[in-house]
Amino acid sequence: MKRKEKAGRRRWAAAGIIGFAALMLAACNKDDELKNLIQDEEKEEKIVNLFSPMEKTDPDAENVARSAADLTIAMAEEELGVTVTYKTYTAEDYQDKTYDQVTLDRARNNMDDIYLLNPDVVQALGEEGKLMDLSGLECVENLREVIKTANTVDGKLVAIPQEVVAYGLFINKEMFDRYGLALPETPEEFLHCCEVFQENGIKTPVGANRWWLENFVFAQAYADLYNGGNTEAEIAALNSGEARYGDYMRPGFEFLKELMDRGYIDAEKALVSEAIEGEGEDFLSQKTPIVMAYWGAANTETAYGKTDFEMQVIGFPSSRGQMPVISMTGFGIGAEAEHGEDALAVLDIMLSDEALQIYSETNRVISPSENVSVECVPALKPLNKLIEEGVYVVGSNAGMKVEQWGNTCLIVRDLLGGATVDECMAAFDKLQDEALGIE
Amino acid sequence: MKEKTGEKEKRERKVLLLSIVLVFCALGAVVTAVSQKISREMSTAAIQNLSESLDLIQYTIEAILENEAEFQMLIAKEAARADDPEEYIRAYEKNQTMVKMSMIPAGESVGVSSTGEPFTEEGLNFSAGGTIKGLPVSQSYLNYMGAWSYTIKCPVERDGEEIGTLYVEYIYDTIESSLPDGFYNKQALLYMMDAESERFILKPKGMGKRSAGHLNLDDFYRANNIQDEEIREEVDQCLENGKNLLYYHDIRGVSALNYMWALNDGTLFLVGYVPVEAIQQEGKTVNQNIILVVVAMLVAFFVCVLLYYINWRQEDKLRKEQEKERRIHSEQLAEALQAAQVASNSKTMFLSNMSHDIRTPMNAVLGFANLLSAEAEDPAKVREYTRKITASGQHLLRLINDVLDVSKIESGKVVLNFDKFSLSDVVASVEAIIVPMAREKGQEFRVEVTGIRHEYLVGDETRINQVLINLLSNAVKYTPEGGHIQMRIMGLRQRGSQYEHIRIEVEDDGYGMTPEYLETIFDAFTRAENSTTNKVQGTGLGMAITKSIVELMGGTIEVLSELDKGSLFRVELELRIQEVQEDTQFWSRRGISRILAVDEDAENCENMRELMQETGVSLEAAGVEEALRRLREMSEAYQLVLFDWDIPEAEGIEAVRELRRALPDTVPIVFLAEYDTAGMEEALETKNTTVLTKPFFVSSLRAKVTEMWEGADKEKEPERADSLEGLHFLAAEDNEINAEILIEILKMEGAFCEIVENGRAAVERFEQAAEGEFDAILMDVQMPVMNGYDATRAIRALAREDARKIPVIAMTANAFAEDERAALASGMNAHVAKPLDVEHLKKVIREYVK
Repeated sequence: MKRKEKAGRRRWAAAGIIGFAALMLAACNKDDELKNLIQDEEKEEKIVNLFSPMEKTDPDAENVARSAADLTIAMAEEELGVTVTYKTYTAEDYQDKTYDQVTLDRARNNMDDIYLLNPDVVQALGEEGKLMDLSGLECVENLREVIKTANTVDGKLVAIPQEVVAYGLFINKEMFDRYGLALPETPEEFLHCCEVFQENGIKTPVGANRWWLENFVFAQAYADLYNGGNTEAEIAALNSGEARYGDYMRPGFEFLKELMDRGYIDAEKALVSEAIEGEGEDFLSQKTPIVMAYWGAANTETAYGKTDFEMQVIGFPSSRGQMPVISMTGFGIGAEAEHGEDALAVLDIMLSDEALQIYSETNRVISPSENVSVECVPALKPLNKLIEEGVYVVGSNAGMKVEQWGNTCLIVRDLLGGATVDECMAAFDKLQDEALGIE
Repeated sequence: MKEKTGEKEKRERKVLLLSIVLVFCALGAVVTAVSQKISREMSTAAIQNLSESLDLIQYTIEAILENEAEFQMLIAKEAARADDPEEYIRAYEKNQTMVKMSMIPAGESVGVSSTGEPFTEEGLNFSAGGTIKGLPVSQSYLNYMGAWSYTIKCPVERDGEEIGTLYVEYIYDTIESSLPDGFYNKQALLYMMDAESERFILKPKGMGKRSAGHLNLDDFYRANNIQDEEIREEVDQCLENGKNLLYYHDIRGVSALNYMWALNDGTLFLVGYVPVEAIQQEGKTVNQNIILVVVAMLVAFFVCVLLYYINWRQEDKLRKEQEKERRIHSEQLAEALQAAQVASNSKTMFLSNMSHDIRTPMNAVLGFANLLSAEAEDPAKVREYTRKITASGQHLLRLINDVLDVSKIESGKVVLNFDKFSLSDVVASVEAIIVPMAREKGQEFRVEVTGIRHEYLVGDETRINQVLINLLSNAVKYTPEGGHIQMRIMGLRQRGSQYEHIRIEVEDDGYGMTPEYLETIFDAFTRAENSTTNKVQGTGLGMAITKSIVELMGGTIEVLSELDKGSLFRVELELRIQEVQEDTQFWSRRGISRILAVDEDAENCENMRELMQETGVSLEAAGVEEALRRLREMSEAYQLVLFDWDIPEAEGIEAVRELRRALPDTVPIVFLAEYDTAGMEEALETKNTTVLTKPFFVSSLRAKVTEMWEGADKEKEPERADSLEGLHFLAAEDNEINAEILIEILKMEGAFCEIVENGRAAVERFEQAAEGEFDAILMDVQMPVMNGYDATRAIRALAREDARKIPVIAMTANAFAEDERAALASGMNAHVAKPLDVEHLKKVIREYVK
């Protein structure tokens, strides 16, 4: 027995020594020194340049909007083997060139492949023929009709959004409740609310910036046009000059003027304030009960995604009640883009149902695809209900010969800068005349 | 001693543990120091490496800028050489680097541009004073293409006269293509910053995460939480002086090396960070490998320790086992030594006792022998002295027998001789010995038998007798005169059908024993009191012998005793029941079918009925009155009457007479009486009566019945005389005294004895003797020349007719059973132990000599 044990022990010892020796040999093994140490790499990198704005970042905060887009871009990269490089620009202040201006410059000079474009830029570049026709992409089949309509210039689908941006009023429900105020439906009710707030020591009840006040104008101007059942005819009338934009726009401008005159809006501050940067702080600290913003801001921590109070997002006041304003920042491809084909392929994947599902789920936004829908946060439910019911106005419509989104924004800035309503209307008339080729 | 060793071991263990801990601490310190040193060195190396990388990028960019400036100077010369420099400018077609070329003629504010538009210096800021190759370079700006650009202006000179200024716009994007596609495994972040505006004007691809994007230095620091005053100051100085800056700061929780690297004399900066992990990757790998090696060494060390420990444990176990064995061995030795000492002490004590015990009777023997020789004329005194000499001699003999017994038991030589026996015989023989002893001391001795179902048993009767006699003789010895001694034989519940479970109790009301003595009572060579001070004589071996015998028989013995109150010895034995075919014919042949027991004691009657059960004879019990009534009613119903003589004598006689009258004369009356009961003579005169000694046994009743029935038929045969008158013996005896005693004894019996001194002589003498000359040969065993066995064998082998017939009786001091067996085996007829018991000798001789 003992001998057996001893033999076993010896066997183990022998195995151990052999293993050790093998390890030693392996450790001493040398790579072939004469070998070329640089691996031959066929570097045929396909690159697609994407020009997009960038949110200013806070310490340790993730850029949610970009994260969602990133996911879809990563999908495209993986599937196509391309590398999408980002080119970005964001204006530091109102004195800087705007993103839109820079986009126009870059697109006109064929600097990038894909651009993320605001509606006015879509229209401008579309009309200049600087954007590729995207209607041939597979993903187009899944798009809602309104998306296609709003992004078609001269019969070409020049941009496709990843999300439908719905603008609304972000209100501090608790403050409304505190003063016994119902959520305003009409401009009159809105003014009443502001009056009550002001009476209660809230000097400037509406927080504004130099970009988004135009939504008040759109809501009042086009509530009937888009919800009266005669949309096409009315647009046709505008495009023919039969109807005047000034007539549509006047009530909204007068309303804004009243807000300014009564001090419900700080016009001076608004004129130099960037979106959210200018008014966000007061809203979050409950000094201002009302601001305007886009849908995604309700989900984004860097915007209004995390408030200490009950927030609700409602439509802008109009004669037809609360009215969400829909706009779209779409992806377009330069007509002469250096990597046009690859860019098209990338976009097709980024805008596929699969990608849009991921995008919408990540950002919890309204998808341009008919096939994608996601649950929204509670604050957005009032706005979402209206949109689902088809109650909204479109802030940018490439079908209108006069670009709406950018122009209105600029004219509102004039108003903020001290122009009269009549002057502003004259500006619209001028634009309409220019668009129609009337001297 | 053990404690001290334990403490020492503990201390040693502590020291060992401490040493190991110290070694490990030292090892840990060395490893940490080495690791830190490596980290430091690697860090220094990495900083150097990073500096070199940044230098490289710096030089690359500066080289590009310088080339651009040099090239621009060439263009300026070309333009100057052109006939129409403005046309030359307008004709320029932009390329990827130089996106716009303009010229303002000297003395004018508006010039021409390759884009076809009028060109002014408006929008270009040369105030910062930056130059490349001496040419002023503008602050960065977004050009008409929406790209970050800069413009270098260069004088256009013709014949030493400045005819205008050439402005060429360059975009930063072109620099990107000259930079590596990321560095530090694409983990490093790099921006190119315009020093004046602090705006980030280029983020080359592959430099940092794609999703990271910062507008300007302030945004970069805010986003990465670099807000330390000290650093900001350094940064400001750096911006001011165009120096380089390298510092550690965490970026989003990751330790990173941050840098600001001045380009082109500080008009541009490279800004960014490299995670320390990326820089110290090699250091980390080295540290990991060191840890791996250390872990491997530790594992190896622990494996060695483990192996050593296992080995040590095995050896320790072995050592402990050996120690244990040694200890056990020592203990055994100590025990043996102690036992030997005890034995030696006991034996010394015993020898001292023996010396006394032997000397006492010896003194008597010799003393009375002297007296005898002096008073030989007085027959009365002679008889008295010889009686005393005999008594002393017998005592000596007993002493010697006991010693021999003990010796045999101790050496394990005692062999039980199992044989059939009857309890009644045992009781009878014990009574025969004890009753006279008790009577001598005026003690009452009673025997009681109860619950015995079988009286015929198998066992060593002699040894049982020995036990009982030992116990009873002790009881007699240690009970003062007039005391009471009782022996009870009880049948206990049988454990198996083949064995009778018997308890024998010997109880006395004597001196009793102390508890201390009770503990050693069964040890050899002890006795209640030292015999030198005690009037009671004894060897001190009796109880040891008794216990050994009982245990040899598979029984148990215990003793209960109280000083001055008496003792109770209790022996329990299991004896095999003799398979005897009860001779039922015995009773029927004699016409006995019903026995009437006249006994007032119901228990006695029950005992008797139990014993008689197997015989088929019905035993009915009744008191005297009841018995008489029954006998008067049907006098012939009973063939035998047992009468318990446990009533006052007068009453007894009267009752016997009454019974006799009621019974036919042929029906015997058997009195059941204690041994040697006195005063029964008158009763025995009654016709057809006899006495049966208590306790009642069927065998004794049978014997009595046989005796009565047969005695009635024929006169008892005259007892054969034991006389040795006229017999001739040949005796081989080497001891002259013994020979003389033998001659004298035989002479007293009227026999003639011829002595020869050894076996050889005996053989020769017998050979020469005429046939019938000797009636028997008395043969000693141990003799010179030829011993008794050989002599017997020789005699038996003689070619004489009587050689095989002549009785040869061994007469030897070799008194053990095996001696007897050896004697018989050698051809002798009988064995008689020395010293000679004349009566026994006569009986044996008579048995063999016809």
